[in-house]
Amino acid sequence: MKPSLAPLLPKEDAREAALFFVVCALCFLAALSGLVARSAYSAADAWADQVTGQITIRVRGDDAATTRALQLIKTAPGIVSARALERKESEELLRPWLGASGIPADLPLPHLIAAEAAPGGAASDERLSAILKAASLDAIVDDHVVWSQDVKRATELAGLAALIAVGLLGATGLAVIAFATHATLLARRDIVELLHLTGAKDGFIAGLFERRFLMLGVQAGALGALLAFGAAAFMLFLVKQADQQIWLLPQLSLSLADGLILGVSPLVAGIASMLAAKVTVMRSLSDMV
Amino acid sequence: MRESSLTSDEPVIRLDRIGLSYGPEADVLADVSLQLKAGSMTFLTGPSGAGKSTLLRLAYLALRPTAGRVSMFGVDTSRLSRKDLAPLRRRIGVVFQEFRLLDHLSAYENVALPLRVLGQHEKTYRNDVIELLKWVGLGDRLDARPATLSGGEKQRVAIARAVVVKPDLIIADEPTGNVDEEMGDRLLRLFRELNRRLNTTVLIATHDLAMVRKARTDVLRLADGMVVRVPAQQVAAPETPA
Repeated sequence: MKPSLAPLLPKEDAREAALFFVVCALCFLAALSGLVARSAYSAADAWADQVTGQITIRVRGDDAATTRALQLIKTAPGIVSARALERKESEELLRPWLGASGIPADLPLPHLIAAEAAPGGAASDERLSAILKAASLDAIVDDHVVWSQDVKRATELAGLAALIAVGLLGATGLAVIAFATHATLLARRDIVELLHLTGAKDGFIAGLFERRFLMLGVQAGALGALLAFGAAAFMLFLVKQADQQIWLLPQLSLSLADGLILGVSPLVAGIASMLAAKVTVMRSLSDMV
Repeated sequence: MRESSLTSDEPVIRLDRIGLSYGPEADVLADVSLQLKAGSMTFLTGPSGAGKSTLLRLAYLALRPTAGRVSMFGVDTSRLSRKDLAPLRRRIGVVFQEFRLLDHLSAYENVALPLRVLGQHEKTYRNDVIELLKWVGLGDRLDARPATLSGGEKQRVAIARAVVVKPDLIIADEPTGNVDEEMGDRLLRLFRELNRRLNTTVLIATHDLAMVRKARTDVLRLADGMVVRVPAQQVAAPETPA
């Protein structure tokens, strides 16, 4: 005698292997999209944080004009600190455009002042421009708001697109599971009918399918998440190997939040699979007497 | 008998002017009425296509009639929701014509299936199921899958499965259709024992008039949409050549 009873719903290896692969692939893509979405949103926030309160003033004129402008900026309301950038710092800023081979010493560089404003908006670019204009100084004040908002909008759109991808992949997964449950239900109608006529309640019969698809979803989701982790780690490795910046593209990192996305993916896949199976089975059973 | 709203005179099955049709086609059953008393053993006979199996399906609550009323154990099933039919089904053991054994389960597991549906733990029924399989002569085939069983063995597993929960009513559709005469006699003895020992009501649909005669019990004959009760004495009388 066998020590344990065989499951009432037999395993269907071929069908379930195909379904496992599909759910795994969907979970991989969904988890990767989730990582990209999170990365895009956090990059947008990071950029916004970096430039918030940072003001750059470009002074047209000689060093004396720059010194005067610096004094005015330092004493302007809402300014926490201000300093004139050294030529070396200006050269560093131009390096991505002019190359690392060195900038000619006689090349005139703009006189730049970097200021930090206190939160609250007392020191806006309009106010600082007005102060400098009143002192007859020709300067352009940029608080980076327009640029940072554009960049933030772009990265948020990228994040939204990734979230939509997650949603679509999730919906596809649900449809696939529902279809597979229905196919299993049709293939195993003999078991379902027998259990029904033996007095099994709908919940009991649905439970057989729910458990089956919960396990399938969790296992396939775990493998998909693991592959997504591997893919993300590989991309990070490649970027770091090349020591490159991906400028406007969101940069992947494997943080706690990413771990949470990867960890939750199998659970979400399992629960979604279970619910899809339950709804499909209950709907089919309602057609029976 | 377990909890029941049934009084001693109330029939286990009561069909009142039952009609059944699938779509606009001719009625499968029309205006059929019958009653079975608790503890009775009854055969249902009739020509092929008369609707015996359909009548049984109505009795084991696999179908709802399109006209008339089906009462089981004193409960009018037409007033019950799907959910409320499940407890009634648990009081009925069905031996299906085509066995309906699950191929991936052993004989033991097939017999234990209704107990699993009831949520019982295997420890509580293991010995009972083994005893039951011994009673039907399959004590040495506990682990056998249906594919390795003969027709008679499958039939006995199906019977064991039908009686394992000690139902109030057993419905069997052509239980001797796939077995030889000797096995048919054994199966008949099983049904009789169940009927007498446990006071289980038994309804058997069959073409096997020889078995019906041996049983010496009342017969319901279904033909042309009518059910006629034939007394045991008339059934037992030897046939006269035409």
